Order: sequence, then structure tokens, then C-alpha cells
Amino acid sequence: MTPVLETDRPASAAPGAGSGRRTLMAWIRHHRTWTLLILVFSLGVGLTILAQQSPRSDGLALSARNPAPDGARAAAQILSSRGVDVRQTDNFEATMSALDSASQASQAGSGSGPTLLLYDRNGYLDAVQLQALQRTADRMVVITPRLNTLSALDGGIRPAGVVPAGMPTLDPGCELDDPAAAGAVTADSAYLYKANHVCYEPVEGLGGLYASSDDGRLAVLGSTQIISNRLLDEHGNAALTLRTLGASDTLVWYLPGLADVTTADKPKTLDELAPPWVAFLGPWLALVALLAMAWRGRRLGPLVFEPLPVVVKAVETAEGRARLYHDAHAVDRAADNLRAGALVRLARVLRLGPDAGSAAVVDAVARHLGRTPEDTAGILEARPRTETALVHWAQELESLEEEVTAR
Amino acid sequence: MAISGRFVLLALAGLVPVMLFPGWGTVLLVCLALIAFLLLDLAMAASLRKVTLDRTLPANVTLTGSTESVLTVGNTGSRPLRVLVRDAWQPSAGAQNPRQQVDVPAGERRRMKVLLKPARRGDLAAPHVTLRAFGPLRLAARQRTLPCPGSVRVLPPFHSRRHLPSKLRKLRELDGKAAVQIRGAGTEFDSLRDYVRGDDVRSIDWRATARRSAVVVRTWRPERDRRVVIMLDTSRTAAARIDDEPRLDTGIEAALLLAVLAERGGDRVDFFAFDRRTRGRAGSASKGNLLGQLVQAMAPLEPELIELDWSQIPGQVRQISAHRSLVVLLTPLDGGAPEEGLLPMAAQLAQQHVVVVASVRDPMLGTMRKERTTAAQVFRAAAAERALLEREAVAIQLRQMGVEVVDAEPHQLPPALADAYIRLKAAGRL
Repeated sequence: MTPVLETDRPASAAPGAGSGRRTLMAWIRHHRTWTLLILVFSLGVGLTILAQQSPRSDGLALSARNPAPDGARAAAQILSSRGVDVRQTDNFEATMSALDSASQASQAGSGSGPTLLLYDRNGYLDAVQLQALQRTADRMVVITPRLNTLSALDGGIRPAGVVPAGMPTLDPGCELDDPAAAGAVTADSAYLYKANHVCYEPVEGLGGLYASSDDGRLAVLGSTQIISNRLLDEHGNAALTLRTLGASDTLVWYLPGLADVTTADKPKTLDELAPPWVAFLGPWLALVALLAMAWRGRRLGPLVFEPLPVVVKAVETAEGRARLYHDAHAVDRAADNLRAGALVRLARVLRLGPDAGSAAVVDAVARHLGRTPEDTAGILEARPRTETALVHWAQELESLEEEVTAR
Repeated sequence: MAISGRFVLLALAGLVPVMLFPGWGTVLLVCLALIAFLLLDLAMAASLRKVTLDRTLPANVTLTGSTESVLTVGNTGSRPLRVLVRDAWQPSAGAQNPRQQVDVPAGERRRMKVLLKPARRGDLAAPHVTLRAFGPLRLAARQRTLPCPGSVRVLPPFHSRRHLPSKLRKLRELDGKAAVQIRGAGTEFDSLRDYVRGDDVRSIDWRATARRSAVVVRTWRPERDRRVVIMLDTSRTAAARIDDEPRLDTGIEAALLLAVLAERGGDRVDFFAFDRRTRGRAGSASKGNLLGQLVQAMAPLEPELIELDWSQIPGQVRQISAHRSLVVLLTPLDGGAPEEGLLPMAAQLAQQHVVVVASVRDPMLGTMRKERTTAAQVFRAAAAERALLEREAVAIQLRQMGVEVVDAEPHQLPPALADAYIRLKAAGRL
């Protein structure tokens, strides 16, 4: 930042064409940690950018990017591989521009106009938007529309309830090309629609799962199952899906989201209400905070290392052995140790010499305390079996020893 | 470079124009003004290129004492130098005032005294000195770190010195006693003094008595010029801490007391610290004060995390003394496998020398042995009992070989070892 920093470096870095590289290498060697941090950071940033750019999968139902059972990536990929340009959009503006560009392309060339797939599960779109879509799209396939949606669209299609229970599949039974070619399709939890052209009627006159307007520009499909990844390969589902959606060169796959909710009079946000200087307050305080960090964080020279000597608590070995005894419930071993220690000390107190056996100590203690040898042998030669007995016995042994020493 | 708290406050004050005239232009302007102030102050700060540093250090300091390190800052430039100097001592050197403001007029030198109260034995280092020169506005400073290595040797404290007078008195008593008890081989003529009641009549010097009116006796003193070889174990077992002190430090205290006592007793003392190679060596043979040499040799000793090479010990002792000597081994009785190391080597040494093994006993084992309230405590007591029994067994085996064993708690070890020495000397076993 300033020339002062230069003074920290060796002054011998002579200028020259060859020395630049050497200086860089020396710098890297000297600042190994920094170099490593920079490398890791740039690698992380690169990976994040790569991950952002690759097409992401999402969790939306019937999304062309969703590989889950309720997604529709299978249908979208088959269409793409057959030359249909599938473009998924999630808001109205993007959809309109996609449709516009596709219809301009089709007018310039000889291909057909764009098809729009609309799956507006929550009824986000209003009548104006729906009509604009219908005007722009060459053909429109609407999946399980609500009454509001259908009444806004101009096609004479009305909802007519659901498929009665107990009918897993339905046969086309009509003269329209696509259903007739596709054959039977899954009808589980599907909706029915009434129109002039209906197919897949469970009962004559009840309405069908597939409805089409008179001019064929609007088709309604009453089931999400048919397009979904899970059931696409069953019955005639695939055929119906691909024929319905793959008629034109471009398919705009539109799943309206919260962004489409038109809010006529939004309340003013906090930003709009605040005076203009507030916008600069935060960043400036952040700058001051950074400076404060630089002020407090700049050390007066590098740290000095303290070579610390190794120090181990000596009693650790005995404590480790005690834990081993405890974990293994080595009551016998512990009792033997306590007994041996007590015998050695008693022999010393009673001046029996280093070679005195256990019997000699028992006798000497009995004589010393004026008890019977059986009594002292009962303590000194007892073999506790449980931990409770061991604790009790250890205390008895201790008090016997104290008694002998006190006399 | 470094910035000061003033610069941070100035930046905070920059908030006022930014808030009065909000806009990116104002922000840019204030930032530029701040940078201008910063650069101006930096440019006006004293240059740190023309600075000389010189360090004067005392040679030694004891662990409990304090000393002064003197740093001379010279200004060879043409402008006055006003710098904050940090003398970078390692933390255990206990520098009391390592940061000082020093004003050096152009072409002059100024001293800066740093008080050191070392907290650890050994060689303590100060690798570099950092200078920081603020500009006249005290907004920003130039900073430079210059290598200026220095080191001070912190000597062991020799706490056991307080036992020295009483042990020396015992040693002097020995002078009189020895003549009464043992007459003949191994005692040397010392001096003549007046007869007091109780003196052996055989020690009356008739010639001297004839020259004077009073009766004069000869006094004798124990053998002099015997050799004492002290071996200090610096292997992994020396790192064990007993009673807030590593075994190594207790061993140093004991070795110092014994060495000083033996030297006053007229014996030649040699010391060596050993694990797999010699870590330090000192002795009466070389010139100079023995105590000074010993503490110099002991100061940098650290426990090494390796096993002691027992097979080399007889060779090391032979190298120091070819004759019969008192060999003192400051080593734990319970380190590793004594059957393989200590016992055979002590037996081998005991054939030629008088061997004393001095070891620190852990007082914790004694307390652990007596706590027997819960099952866990009883198991601990059993383990402590076991450790004590093992030590006892090794000590008995050593005694059977004719080796003296001094087994004492940390504070008792130096006087106990001194007593053992006096006992051996009184018995004429050296």
C-alpha cells in the first residue's frame, strides 16, 4: 500500500528481467500459508461459480428440471432429443418474451409457432395475463386448470368434476388424432372437463380427461400423472404427452410462481421510507469497523515462539492402572496388591525382617494386638469377591494397620 | 505500516459530511481526504532505514532473580527519531516493560532498559526488535522489524542451598570424629589442637606438647581427594512431574547440593547429564568455580523423549574416573524395565565403585493408597500399592547388590542424598 511495506523485505531483491520470477518464488516460499489460503479460496470460488452455472434441478411438481417421481424431466428430455426446443420459465415476462422470440423465429422460417405448456396449480395468473398468453402462443396445453383459469381462456371448456373411483385407465373413445393414436391412459385422481371435443370419458356425457377447443389451439389435460416421471412409461401416457406437447418446434414450459402475483398497490418498503443518508450509514460504519480491525489487529512485530518442555504427571501411570483394574473388575488382583502392601508394612513395623511370610505376620499382629490369630487371619487373608466387599475389606485392612502402628 | 486509533476516529468523523450530503460523490471525496491525510502523515514519519540496534545482555540470571537487558537504539539519519520500540522476548523471559517510547536525536544513540523476570530455566531468546514511528499527526506509522538476536541463560535456582550450612556443619564434625573412631589406614593428618577431655590419649603429639606448656593432640580428617561422579538422567522419565516439579529439576537441586558439599569436603566432583548421549558435563578438574560450571551445564537441560541407554553408563563413568569413586545415579526406580537397564548396570558399577541411586518418590502415591471410600478409590489404592511395591522390590534388589538407595519425596531428596554422602564418608567407604 505504501513504500514503508517495502522495508520489511530484504533489500537485496535486485531489479532485472530474470529476478522477477525468482522474487515471486521467494515470496511464495516466504508466505506459504497465504499462498495456500489464496489457492483454496480461489478454488472454492471457481467451484461455486461452476455449480451456479450448471443447470440446477428443482423440486417443483411437473418441472422440466425435476428428476423426482412427480417431476417431468423425462418428458422434457425426450422432447429435446426429438428436436423440440424446451424452455422452462417461471414468470410471466420471461414466458412472454420466450413466446415472442419463438413466434418471430417461426415467422421468419417455415416452422410452426410455439406451444405453451401451462401448469398453474395455485391459480396465480389473472385473466389479463392468461389472455395475453393465449394470444401470443400458437397452441396452449393447460394441465388441470381451475375454473377461474378456464373462464379467462377463450375456448369453451368447463371443469366437470373428477374421474369416479375404480377406473385406473380410460380409453380414448373419440375422433381426435392424438388421443386416438395414444390409446388408454392412466386416469387415477384425474379431473374431467366438458367441451365440444372431449376424449377419455368415463361415462358418456360426463366430460373427459382430455378436452380441446374447436380450433384446436387450446387443449386441456386433466391429469398430472400422465406427464410425470413416475407414470410416463405406462399405458399410452408417453404417446399422449409427446404428441400433445411435441407438435411444434418450440415448447415453452411455464410453471407460474409467486413472482406472478400482481400486486397493484405495494406498501412502501423501509428503504423507500428512510431518508437518503441511511443508505450510506451502514457501509460507512462497516468501513470504520474495518479500519478499527486494522488498528487493533496490527501487531507490533511477529510473535515470538516459546519452546514448551514436555511435562507429564508422574501419577498418571498408577491412575491408568487403577482404571484398568476397575474396568476389568479385577477384584482379586486389587485385593492381592492391598494385602501385599499391608503385609510388607506390618512386617516392617513389627520388625520381622524382609523374609517374614504371611503366617508369621498374622501371628505377630495377633500377639501385638492381643487378639487370636484366627481373628487377624480373618482380615489379612480374606478374599473379597465383589466390589462392595472389596471396599469394606480395604477399610478393615487400613484400620488394622492403623491399630498396629498406634500401639 | 500501521494506523492509529486517531485515524479510526477521523474516519468515524467522516460520517458527518457523508450524512449531510448523501451521495457517492461525497463518499469518494471523504475517502480521498482520508487517504491524503494517511499518506501525508506517513511521509512525514521518521524513516526507519537509518537505525542501528545493539543489545547488551548479562551473561546469567538465576530463576528467581531479575535482570536488565539494555538495547541501544542509534539514529544515523539527519532527522530526529521518535519510535515505539518493542523488544521481542519470548513470554517466559517475563519482560516487564518490553514496549517503550524512545526519542533519539539525529546522529545520537539512546539506551532502553528492559527488566526481565524469567519464569523458566534454560536459554531464553529475543530474536528481533520491532520499531514503529508515528507521523506528526499520529494518524499512521511506519513499522519495521529488525533481527537483533539475543539470549540470556537462566540458571537453576538452587533452592536446596538452604540445607548447605547444616550439612557442612555435619561434615566438619566428621573431621574431629573420624580421628577418634578410626585410626590408621585411610585417615590423614590434619592439624594440631589443644587437648580436651575425651580425646584419645593415643592421639597426643608428644613433640608438640614438649614445645608448649599445654597438651596438644593431633587431629585427623577423613580421606580427601576422592572422586564423586554424578549422573543425571535426562531421558523421558525425567519429564514426569512430581509435586509441581519435573523429576529433572529435583535431580538438578540434589546434584547441586551434593556437588557443593563434596567439593567443600575436599573431593573431586564430576557431573554429567545423559540419555543417549552426553547433554552436559562439568567437573572440578577444569578451571574456575565448580558451582558456576555446574549451573551453566545444567541450565539448558531439558527432558528428551527417548529411553536412557544404560549400556553406555559404565563407559561414561570410566572415561571420567578410572579409579574407585562414588557414583551417584539420579534416576527413577520405576522407569520402564529396571530389570533390563538399571539393575544389571548398577551391579556392574558396584563391583568397582560405590554406587548410590537417588530417586524421587511421588507423595501422591501415598495419599492415593490411603483413600479407600469408594470402589474407584480402592482400585486407585491398589494401583498405588502396586507401584510402591514395585519400587520397593527394585530398591531391595539394589541394596542386595551393595548399592545405596536414596528414595525420598521431592523436597527431601537433596538433603537425603547429602546425608547419604556424609554417612558413606564417615564410614570411610569412599
